Amino acid sequence: MPTHQLTVNGRVHHVDADPATPLLWILRDTLGLTGTKFGCGQGVCGSCVVHLDGQAQKSCQTSLREAAGHKVVTIEGLSKAGTHPVQHSWIAEDVAQCGYCQPGMIMTAAALLQHKPHPTDRDIDDAFADHVCRCGTYSRVRKAVHRAAGGVK
Amino acid sequence: MTDRRDFLKVTGALGAGLVLGLRLDAKALPGKVAKTEFRPNAFLALGPDGRVRITVPKVEMGQGVRTALPMVLAEEMDLDWSRIDVVNATPGPDFKSMGTGGSTSVSTTWTTLRQAGAAAREMLKAAAAAQWGLAVGQCHTEKGFVLGPGGRKLGYGDLADAAAKQPLPSKPPLKKPGDFRLLGKRTPRFDGTDIVTGKAVFGLDVRRPGQRFAAVLRCPVPGGKPKAWDKSKAEAVHGVKAVVEVPTGLAVIAESTWAAFKGREALAATTTWDEGAAKDFSSASLETKMRAALTGPADEARKVGDAEKVLATAARLLEAEYSFPYQAHATVEPMNATAHIGQAGAELWVGSQSANRAQDRAAAALGLKPEQVQLNVPLIGGGFGRRLGTDFSTEAAQVAKAAGGGPIQVVWDREDDFRHDLFHPATLHRMRVGLDATGGISAWVHRIAGPAILRSWMGGQKSPTQAASEANGALDLPYGIPAITVDFGEVEAPTPLGWWRGIQIVPNVFARECFLDEVAHATGMDPLQLRLKLLGDQGVVKFGGEEADIRRLKKVLQVAAAKAGWGRKLPPGRGLGLACHAYDGRTYAAQVAEVSVEKGQLRIHKITCTVDCGFVVNPLGLEAQVEGGIAFGLSALFSQITWEKGRTVQTGYHDFPVLRLADMPSVETHIVSSGADPSGMGEPPVPLAIPAVLNALFAATGIRVRSLPLLPQMLQKA
Repeated sequence: MPTHQLTVNGRVHHVDADPATPLLWILRDTLGLTGTKFGCGQGVCGSCVVHLDGQAQKSCQTSLREAAGHKVVTIEGLSKAGTHPVQHSWIAEDVAQCGYCQPGMIMTAAALLQHKPHPTDRDIDDAFADHVCRCGTYSRVRKAVHRAAGGVK
Repeated sequence: MTDRRDFLKVTGALGAGLVLGLRLDAKALPGKVAKTEFRPNAFLALGPDGRVRITVPKVEMGQGVRTALPMVLAEEMDLDWSRIDVVNATPGPDFKSMGTGGSTSVSTTWTTLRQAGAAAREMLKAAAAAQWGLAVGQCHTEKGFVLGPGGRKLGYGDLADAAAKQPLPSKPPLKKPGDFRLLGKRTPRFDGTDIVTGKAVFGLDVRRPGQRFAAVLRCPVPGGKPKAWDKSKAEAVHGVKAVVEVPTGLAVIAESTWAAFKGREALAATTTWDEGAAKDFSSASLETKMRAALTGPADEARKVGDAEKVLATAARLLEAEYSFPYQAHATVEPMNATAHIGQAGAELWVGSQSANRAQDRAAAALGLKPEQVQLNVPLIGGGFGRRLGTDFSTEAAQVAKAAGGGPIQVVWDREDDFRHDLFHPATLHRMRVGLDATGGISAWVHRIAGPAILRSWMGGQKSPTQAASEANGALDLPYGIPAITVDFGEVEAPTPLGWWRGIQIVPNVFARECFLDEVAHATGMDPLQLRLKLLGDQGVVKFGGEEADIRRLKKVLQVAAAKAGWGRKLPPGRGLGLACHAYDGRTYAAQVAEVSVEKGQLRIHKITCTVDCGFVVNPLGLEAQVEGGIAFGLSALFSQITWEKGRTVQTGYHDFPVLRLADMPSVETHIVSSGADPSGMGEPPVPLAIPAVLNALFAATGIRVRSLPLLPQMLQKA
């Protein structure tokens, strides 16, 4: 198996695995970063979203080969001690229910705000189109994104 | 009434080891507990540093028990909320009743947790009083301290040792609601920070030293078995360690989840199946049987008067058929469990809503005694009733056994999760109403036809309460009608069934509340006025084994209508619809939906929900349950599981649509206070969303939808 160089949360790893392996499983099973969740493996639930060079990316649809050489940020590396504005607003709005899909949602929210500091409701609808929260936290997700953008809506 | 409820009730009564008095002081505890820890009961341990560890006797799956239940105990004990730790119980002598479901977690633990906290508080006061040479009555408690006259103050931690030596009060005084500092306050989720930083540990996140991963190749037809296979192809996949036979299929053991999945894929290509008795099952064949059962013999669930006789002579007869499809739970965390079998016993990590049952069944599968199986319950990434089943935990124990002990994590992928769910079954509903000469309802007949969930739960046996269970939501029709018949025509289906958030109440209340709306329109009455008239001045009404206070239902309905502006003028194409229900006679709820159809699409603008669930422990959590319950209900407007050749047609979120963020309506929640003790809020909001929305759709467009899922063509006007 070839070795791939992968930068995750600022740390360089040399990963020896099948290059077709989804990044999701490298993170979870090889690197022990279980904050990134497995929900569908089909690219339609958003639980596995991470940042790849600052872009929200479904890690179940990204192979090790594609991720190698790029900068990956997971929920564990989004901030030191949960201080990212999105994490703050998530707590302030008490968004989570079971919490399982939330790391993916938070990573999507953080990437959205990076590119659109003041998203409209429509922007939020579009950004979260591929996310599933079976507990139904959606109203609070929307509020938390607006709050993180600086306006409580 | 239902055996699910009985299960939760019996197991909900807390285990004998928790009765105050059996654990009097630290000396009686095993040596591993620090002797300076004060443990007056199994729920709490006070350390010398003053921190209190609270053990939660129910499992957390998003409904907020790791916040609400500690609040109850912390209130009575007067704890500093910032100085508590919360741990999950494990099944055993102290926790014999961890079954979590049926919206019972707060109601079944409320008194016990209050007493547990109050007893500890009284013992701490007594310890401080002894130290000060004062009477207990001169001391009081506040946020982790005992206070006495003259500025005397001792921290709980400093009193831990002395408190453990105090006699346990037999009837510790409970606080008056007016003195509550924590209960009733909007309290954010205890695990919030862990969740937003990715630290929260769910079942799939369990990692043990030397852990392997497994994927099980199961027959896509429930009950089918592998006939022939060639494991060499799977074993050739990098990272695959072994292929072993288990009762549910063939398990591929690997170094990583991905290798297990790839190995299984290779194995599947070589495997032939004996698909078993269910191989020809289809939704179409079931529907034929269900339609026959709409008029054939049935088991009675409720009978008031002789409704058939009244119908035969009614001035006018109204009739309609409603249909609700199979549903999947579709929890975002797929089923999984981790098992490790050692010399003396086994240890499992399972996101189980039935931890005691999971322990018993894993033990049975391993030939062990339950006490030899340590069962840990991590956080649960969505339960909705699916994890009341023990299929996935028993399977993990079997996989670990077949593979030499483990630790092994068995991971289901999304397709496994859909194909091998414990499904909510389809039902057909034949609704008939007789009207007298003045247009009043003289008879109500509701026939339900479908497979019985309870039979599946009872291992194939028919319970005496089966009809009542399947008619939940129909038999407890709250309306005062002189003649009522509700019955259940059972249809066999070879599919595993289980409890699904809202259970049979969802289809039954959908049929009931939509049909009543039809009756209102057919008789020229306003749907609100008709309901209020039928609820009338009834007080407590008995339905079989339970009762409901109709006055409380009437109140929530009136408040919902007022808050939603029922009767106000709406723009053309917009409509309001309502529904109400007394859930298990314990939680009273009403919803008003406001909808429109735009470009052929249903738009749900807003749902106003009123609830009376007795005392509200955490209003912030209650609102989350209402929002989430409505989202769950609305998903079922559009989703369905269908069967072809014995297997589900749907295999994921791509063909089983669940509500997405863009479609979430605005939800407004109003709490109606009744002064009653707390009941529950997990399920009650779910069954009202569908009928409220469909009744609003009719008001907006004149389109009456009686068959789900709601398909785009149903919104095209004829």
